[in-house]
Amino acid sequence: MEELRYIGEQLLPGKLGHFLVILGFVSALLSAIGYLKTTNLRTDAGYDKGWLAFSRTNFLIHTISVLAIIGLIFFIMINQMYEYRYAWEHVSEDLPMRYIFSAFWEGQEGSFLLWMFWHVVLGGIILLNKGKWEPPVMATIAFVEVIINSMIIGVYFTDAFKLGSSPFLLLRDTMDAPIFNNPDYLSMIQGNGLNPLLQNYWMTIHPPTLFLGFASVTIPFSFALAGLWMKEYKSWLKPVLPWALFSAGILGTGIVMGGAWAYEALNFGGYWAWDPVENMSLVPWLILLAGIHGNLIARSTGYSIKATLFFYLLSFVLIIYSTFLTRSGVLGDESVHAFTEMGLEWQLVLFILIFSALSTWMLARRWKQIPAPEKEEKLQTREFWMFIGTLILLFSAILITFTTSIPVYNKIFDGIGFLVGKDMSHLHRSMPVDPEPHFNRYQLWIAVFVAFLSSIAQVLRYGGRSWETYQRRLAGHLLISTIGGIALFILIRLWIDTFTWQNAVLLGAATFAVVSNVDYIVRFLRANWKSIGSPMAHLGFALMLIGVLASGTNKRTISRNEFAQASLLDDVDARNNIVLIQGKPMFMEGYWVTYRKDTIIGQTRKFLVDYKRVDPDGDTVEAFTLLPNVMYDKQFTKVSASNPDTKHYLGRDIFSYIHALPAAQMDAEEGRKQEENLDFHDYLIRPGDTLTLQTAAVVIDDLVMQVRDPEYDRRPGDLAFSVSVKARKPGQQEWHHAAPGLVARQALLYRFPAQVNDLNLRLELPDDGLNRVYTPEDSLAYQAFTLQQGETKEIDGIVYQLIQLDRIARHPDYIAEEEDVALNAIITVQNRNLPGIDTLRPLFFIRGNIPYHLKAYSPSRGIHLRFTNIDPVSETFYFEAAVDPDMNKPVTLRIAERVPRDDLIVMEVIEFPGINLFWLGTVMMMAGLFLSMYTRARKPIP
Amino acid sequence: MVVAIGLLISASKDMGTYSSFADARQSDKKVKVVGQLAKDKEMYYNPEEDPNYFSFYVKDMEGEEHQVVLLKAKPQDFELSEQIVLIGKLKDDTFIAEDLLMKCPSKYKEEEISLRGSL
Repeated sequence: MEELRYIGEQLLPGKLGHFLVILGFVSALLSAIGYLKTTNLRTDAGYDKGWLAFSRTNFLIHTISVLAIIGLIFFIMINQMYEYRYAWEHVSEDLPMRYIFSAFWEGQEGSFLLWMFWHVVLGGIILLNKGKWEPPVMATIAFVEVIINSMIIGVYFTDAFKLGSSPFLLLRDTMDAPIFNNPDYLSMIQGNGLNPLLQNYWMTIHPPTLFLGFASVTIPFSFALAGLWMKEYKSWLKPVLPWALFSAGILGTGIVMGGAWAYEALNFGGYWAWDPVENMSLVPWLILLAGIHGNLIARSTGYSIKATLFFYLLSFVLIIYSTFLTRSGVLGDESVHAFTEMGLEWQLVLFILIFSALSTWMLARRWKQIPAPEKEEKLQTREFWMFIGTLILLFSAILITFTTSIPVYNKIFDGIGFLVGKDMSHLHRSMPVDPEPHFNRYQLWIAVFVAFLSSIAQVLRYGGRSWETYQRRLAGHLLISTIGGIALFILIRLWIDTFTWQNAVLLGAATFAVVSNVDYIVRFLRANWKSIGSPMAHLGFALMLIGVLASGTNKRTISRNEFAQASLLDDVDARNNIVLIQGKPMFMEGYWVTYRKDTIIGQTRKFLVDYKRVDPDGDTVEAFTLLPNVMYDKQFTKVSASNPDTKHYLGRDIFSYIHALPAAQMDAEEGRKQEENLDFHDYLIRPGDTLTLQTAAVVIDDLVMQVRDPEYDRRPGDLAFSVSVKARKPGQQEWHHAAPGLVARQALLYRFPAQVNDLNLRLELPDDGLNRVYTPEDSLAYQAFTLQQGETKEIDGIVYQLIQLDRIARHPDYIAEEEDVALNAIITVQNRNLPGIDTLRPLFFIRGNIPYHLKAYSPSRGIHLRFTNIDPVSETFYFEAAVDPDMNKPVTLRIAERVPRDDLIVMEVIEFPGINLFWLGTVMMMAGLFLSMYTRARKPIP
Repeated sequence: MVVAIGLLISASKDMGTYSSFADARQSDKKVKVVGQLAKDKEMYYNPEEDPNYFSFYVKDMEGEEHQVVLLKAKPQDFELSEQIVLIGKLKDDTFIAEDLLMKCPSKYKEEEISLRGSL
C-alpha cells in the first residue's frame, strides 16, 4: 500500500525532540559515570581534572537537552500542532495562553520534565559551587536524571514492552482512527484541551512547587549516599543541612498549596481528606523532618548518624514510591486525583527497586563503620527527646503508608495468585470506609507527642549541659508553659468545642506547645534572633493543630433547614445540600440566604448569592455576597466544573459550593430529553378565556403585538406576537403572569416560551399562532375617516377617539432619520361588543417630501389602523381602519404541567471556624524551615 | 516496637473489603460495594422535592441488582460512569449510600477525536 502523504504536518520538531530525549539520556548517563569515576579516582590531592571536566560537560549537555525538550514541547503546544499527541491532548484552540504551563505539566511526560528541570537547576547550583561534595552528589543526581529521562524516552523493544513514553509521539501513530486515512486530517481535528477542573491558577503554581520539593529531596539523599560512599560519616552532615531544610520547606509548601487548592477550588469541603495522593506526598516530608532532626542531633552530639542516613535515604525512596502510586493507576479505585495510566508501571517499580536496593546496600555495607557513641543517653538531654521525636515521625509515616498501600497489597496478592495459579481476589481489601476518622484516630496521638516533645526538647540542652544549675530554670519554664497552656486552653474552649476527650488532650498539648515556644522565643532568643527558625516552626505546628481542631471538628454545615426530611439512616446525617430558588430568601442556620441572579462571563456562569444575618431586633449584623460558579465546556452544552466561593473572615470562613443545577442546565442532552418528556397539550384560546388545568387555572388576558423576553431584541420588520396570561393554583390568591411569544423575522420563526416556575407550568405558542395575527394587507377592507383632536367617531360598531398627537414618534418598525417629520396619533378604540378600551399609536411621517404611514394593530380587537394624512390648516387628521376577518378565530396555546423549575440551584454551605490559624500555622512552619536554612547556610553554628 | 506492631494490627482492622449486596445484607456496618450502573433502569433526582435524594439502580459484581439512594446531589457525568463504588448500608431492599466513587472513562476523552466546528 502506498503511504499517505499528510498535508500540513511538521515532523521536524518531533525528530529533533526524539534526538534530544536520547541525547539527554545519554549525556546524563555519561555524566553519572563520569562523576562516579571522578569520585572513585580521588586522591589526597583532590579530584582528577579530566574526569571532572568530562562529567561537568555531560551534565551541561544534559541540561541543554532538558531545556530544549521543554522549549520544543512549548513550541508544539503554543502552535497547536495537533499532529503531536501531547499537543492534541493538552491544548485546544480556546485554551487561554495563561494556562499553557498548566497544560504542559498536566500530562505525565510534562510533569517528568518538570521534575527533571528542577534536578537540573539544583544540580547546576551544586556544580557551580564546585565543592568537595560535587562529584559524589552529582553522580547520584545524574543517575536519578537517567532514570527519569528513561520515562520519556519512548523506545519500544516489543509491542508490549516499552521504555518510557515520549512526548513527541505523533497522534496518528498512537491511535487507529479512520480519519487518518484522510491526508488532510490535520485541518479537521481540534485539541482536547486542559481539563476544566485544572483551569485555575493553582494548577499553574502548585505542580512546580511540589516538583521542586520532590527534586530537592534528591539532594539530601545524594549527600547521604555520598557520605557512605566516601566513608566520611560526619563531614557531610553540615553541608546537607541547609539543603534538607530547604527541601522540607519547599515540599511542605507544595503540600500545603495542594490543601489550599482543594479548599479554594475543589469540592472536598476542606483542605485535607487523607486521600492517598495527599498522604503519599506527606509521608516523605515527615521522614525528611525526621532526617533533619537526626541531622541536628548528629551535628551537635555525634549520635544518630545512622538514623539520619536512614531517614534521608528513605525520604527519597518514598518520593519514588509516591510517584509510583500516583502514576501507575494502582490507586484507580481509591483516589480522586491520580494520573491516568501510561503503561509505565514496571518501569516505576524498577525505579523504586533500584534506589531502595542501592540505599540498602550502601547502608548495610558501611553500617559497622558508621560511628556511634557508646555512651548512655540521658533523659535530661535535648538529643534524647529529639530522637524520640524522630521515631514518632517515622511511626506516623509508617502508619499512613501502611493504610495507603492497601491497593498495592491487592496487586501483590494478584501477582502471587498469578504465579501459583489461584484467584487471590478474596484477599483484596479496600481503604477504610471512613478514611478520615481512621487516620485522625492515630495521627492525633502522634500530634500530641510531637507537640509536647517540641516544647520539652526546645528548653533542654544538648548533652544535658550544666544540668545542675539548669534544672531550676527548666522547672520555671515548664511551669509557665503549663499555666499559660491551661489559660489558653480555657480561652480557646470558650470559642470552639473539642467534643471528645482525645481532642481535648490534643488541644492541651497544642496550647502547651504554643506557650512554651513563645516563652522560648521571648526568653532565649533576645540575644540570638537568628535561631528563631526552629521555635517559629514548632509554634507554627502548634497553631496549625489548633486550627485543625477548630476548623475540622467545629465545621458546621449551614445549608440545612429544619424542614428537611428525617434521615433515612439514623446514624447518618449526610444531607448537606439545600435548594435555593431565585429571588426567594431561605433561612438556614442563622442566615437569610437569597440566590439573586446569575451572570455569564465567557464559559463561566456565576451565581450571586446574598447572605444576611439579622439579630433579634431585626438589624442586619452581617451581610455579604458569594459568587459560586460553574464552568461550561466550550460548546456550552455541559457543566464541566463547579467552583466554590468563600467568604474569609479573620476567625472563620464561609464556604459555598454548587452541587447541582436544573438538569437541563447541567447538560443540554439531558435538557433535550426532558423537553421531549414534557406533556404538552394544545388549547384553543380567545382573550378572556379561563382554562382549568389539573394543577392550575390560566386566564387569557390579551393578545399583544410585542414580545417581552430578555432574550428578544426587537428589530424593524419583525412580526412579534405574544399572549399575556395569568395563572394561579386552585384555592390560592396570588396570580403569576406570563407571556409566551412568537416572532417572525424574515423567513424565520422564533419561539419564546414562558415558564411559570412557581406553578411548574410551561407555555408556548406553536408556529401557527402567527396565522391568527398576520393578515395580508390586500385582504383588509380599509375605511377612511377623519378626526380632529378630541373628536370621537363610530364606524362599524367601533368608537375611535383622537386623544392627542405626539411629536415623539414611536413605532416598532420606524427608524428615525434626520429631516423626517413624524407624528404619532394616540387613539383610543372601543368595540361595542367588547369590554374595555384599547389605545393604538399609528405613525405618519414625511421623508423627502413623500408621506409614509405605519399602521397600528390590536389583535384582540381585530382593528388595523392607519394614519394616512394631515391637513395642517384645518387641523384635520386622516385615518383608515379595517376590521380583521380573523378576529374571532382562536389562538393555539400549548401548555405543559409539572415542568421542572429552571430557577434553582443546589448548594452546600459550610462554616470553618479558625481556618486561618491552620494557614498561619503552616506558613510559620515553612517560614521557620526557610529561616533555619538561611541561618545554617550563612553562618556555621559552632 | 511492640506498641508499634500492636497499633498497626489495630489499624488494619479498619481496612474495608469490597463487598457485594449479599455481603451488605449480612452486615450492619457500612460497606463498600463495587458495581455498575444499571443504565436501563430509572434514575431519579428532583432537587425541588429533595436535593439530597438521588436514586438509581446498581448491579454488583455478582449480578445482584438493587435500588440505591444516594443522600447527596446527583454527581456530574453520572451516566458515563463505568464502575461505581458505593459506601453505605443495605436497608430493607434499598442500599442507602452516603457517598460514592465513580470511574469515568471519558474524563480525558482519550480515544475520541473531536472534529473542528462540530458541536
